[in-house]
Amino acid sequence: MASKQAVDRRDEDEVCPVCKSSRYLNPNMRFLINPECYHKMCESCVDRIFSSGPSNCPVAGCRKTLRKNRFRAQTFEDIGVEREVDIRRRVMHILNRREEEFDTKRNYDDFLEQREEMIANLVSRIDVAKTEAQLKQYALENEQSIRANQALEEQEATSFQARMTLEQEEAQRRRQIARQEYENERRELQAGREDFLTRLAAGTSADAGTIAREGSKVHLKKSSARRSEEERIRQKQAALRGSETKRGGASTPAAAGPADSGLIKGLRKIKTPEPEKPYDPFMGFVPEKRDYFTLQESYPSSFLERQRQNQMASAGGYDLREYYSRTLLEAFAGLGVFVGDEVSKRDAEKVSPPAATEGAAMVAGNEK
Amino acid sequence: MIEDTIYRTSSQYRVWSYTEESLQSLRASTNTIASDRVRVTLRRTRDAPQSATGTPQPGSDVDSKEEKPIDCLTPEEELVFVRYYCESLLELGDEYKPPLPTTLRATAIQYLRRFYLTNSPMTYHPKKIMACALFLATKTDNYYMSLQKFSEAIPGSPSAEEVIAPEFLLMQGLRFTFDIRHPFRGLEGGIMELSAIAEGQGQPTPILPHQTAQSLKQALLSIAPPPTPSSSITDRIGRAHNGTRELLKTAAQMTDAYFLYTPSQIWLSAFLLSDRPLCEFYLETKLGGPIIPSTNSDSDPSTPLDPLVELRTKLSKVLSDCSALLQGYTPLSSDPAQIKNLKRIAKKHYKCQNPEGLNMAQKRDSAQPPTSASATDSGPATSESETERLAKKRKLEEQKRGAQDLFGGELVPDRTKGQ
Repeated sequence: MASKQAVDRRDEDEVCPVCKSSRYLNPNMRFLINPECYHKMCESCVDRIFSSGPSNCPVAGCRKTLRKNRFRAQTFEDIGVEREVDIRRRVMHILNRREEEFDTKRNYDDFLEQREEMIANLVSRIDVAKTEAQLKQYALENEQSIRANQALEEQEATSFQARMTLEQEEAQRRRQIARQEYENERRELQAGREDFLTRLAAGTSADAGTIAREGSKVHLKKSSARRSEEERIRQKQAALRGSETKRGGASTPAAAGPADSGLIKGLRKIKTPEPEKPYDPFMGFVPEKRDYFTLQESYPSSFLERQRQNQMASAGGYDLREYYSRTLLEAFAGLGVFVGDEVSKRDAEKVSPPAATEGAAMVAGNEK
Repeated sequence: MIEDTIYRTSSQYRVWSYTEESLQSLRASTNTIASDRVRVTLRRTRDAPQSATGTPQPGSDVDSKEEKPIDCLTPEEELVFVRYYCESLLELGDEYKPPLPTTLRATAIQYLRRFYLTNSPMTYHPKKIMACALFLATKTDNYYMSLQKFSEAIPGSPSAEEVIAPEFLLMQGLRFTFDIRHPFRGLEGGIMELSAIAEGQGQPTPILPHQTAQSLKQALLSIAPPPTPSSSITDRIGRAHNGTRELLKTAAQMTDAYFLYTPSQIWLSAFLLSDRPLCEFYLETKLGGPIIPSTNSDSDPSTPLDPLVELRTKLSKVLSDCSALLQGYTPLSSDPAQIKNLKRIAKKHYKCQNPEGLNMAQKRDSAQPPTSASATDSGPATSESETERLAKKRKLEEQKRGAQDLFGGELVPDRTKGQ
């Protein structure tokens, strides 16, 4: 604020390049700029020209189309600095990789250099189109990680803010305590002195020496006790603060996001954990599925028909379908198992007898 | 195919499926081990009858002296011998009132066959094991029968204790896998589906969704006529059903089909034998159109085959193998030459029985019969050899323990012997 006022005061004879009105005539005049072309003009000009929608820049030779909502107050006096800060902010917003995302410090440094180079290019208008294209491409490809890092930054900023306010409060409290202490001390000193005086006044002249000595001793004792107490409190607070900062440090989560970009090298490979598959208790086995036959509800058989009609059996829980499924399963169980081939293969694999066999033989031997 | 995956979890596939070669070598090794033991034991009992308590000692010096007089069974003879008892097991089922169910008898037969893969009839007489296998089958097949009632019906009426004596031994020989997948129920399922098709209620197979009930019925009616003419399609299915069932009851039980093929393949090959066109039609509805065997096998390496066609090709070979196996079976009693052979084997067997083995089988109360101790889950071929190894190891350990122990060995050194 103060600097702005200073600027205002200094440039009393400033003139709007568009309407040529000077601050002398209009002391409340504010100058605004648009980051499109950084041409300065006064607020009334902006209102006048751009209220009815986007329009061309009124400065001669500049054909940029400006919008009213993009106009803002100038922060830096030098337009070049203003522009660089804007560019920097924009580039940093996109290329917002963090150090922990890189494999090595070296890679991170390379990234920083690359970013600075791009900013410098944009500021000094070298290869603008190419750099812009790169930026755009990167922003498209890494939309997610950019957003994640932005969120992280925001979070850090807020936590920093919170920590700062906490520290301020703490300091305030400390000061208050110190003041109170001082006050108490003073009061006590005064009381002690008064007491001392009354005793002196009441006592005889012979006691004066001893009373004076006692008084000073008491005072010393009290102050030393207080000092140790203060020390203790201070230590406690320091410990508390230490733990808080530690927690704050631990709370910054690791960055996540796809690490595929041609622009930035040396990014740490982030392993995204595979999404858990739905739990399959049979491990791919479908209990009712059969390959050789389709089970029917009933089969024609005079022999079984009697059983099917038997209500007593069905009341007891006997289900003929169980019989059907079992007989049909047994009809085909092992149809494609070729014992000759499979057993010889199995025997070839199993050269040494399994450990359990040895164990059983040993047990059998010991029992006798 | 999900059904095949389900079958692969069964103990029949995991433990009791063999290739022809592995089956043969297993039988051969069981036979050699058992005959060695028989020779050693017989010689010892003859030479020194008073010291017949120790475990056999396979030394090299004993073999040389009197090899000739002890003539042991060959693996083939053992197989015939066991088969005879399997057949009599089938007949034994008729002794009961009501007769025992077919699946139960089949289970018992399979128990017996599985048991004699790793054990020799020279060590344990099948007659003793047979009754026990049947009784075990009544229990595993949910056909309750008291031991008393059970043993009464057995010819020669052995005591209940005698029947039950080798039970644990038998279970160890079965490696505690009691589940036997029979082809009988599968046959019922297939017949059920075929008759549904015949009545126009057929459902398309999941992998061939273009089928309809009508098209299936049409196809069924247009297949080649059966070898013996039948009045209607239902009649034909019924006849095929019966023929297949008979085959499954006998041929499938007495051959190695259960070890070499899956139940589904067994019933289909039996079905193939009793009505070939019907079976081929049924397979077509399941696995797609007929295959041309020669061209397919030729084009094999150049073009990757459709898995279904590949399956079909492989299956037709397996089915023809299996049906040849089933067809090759003739009951022992029907063939005089075979009966003669059997009598010779029985006589031979009488001479080369292992007296120790019989005793062991009867000593059920002793903690564990030594021969079967290792049969629990050791490799299939090791049942007999493992026993020897363990016996040796045990002896060594005992000696070691005796030497190391500060206060000498145990007071009762051999628990099993004491009982």
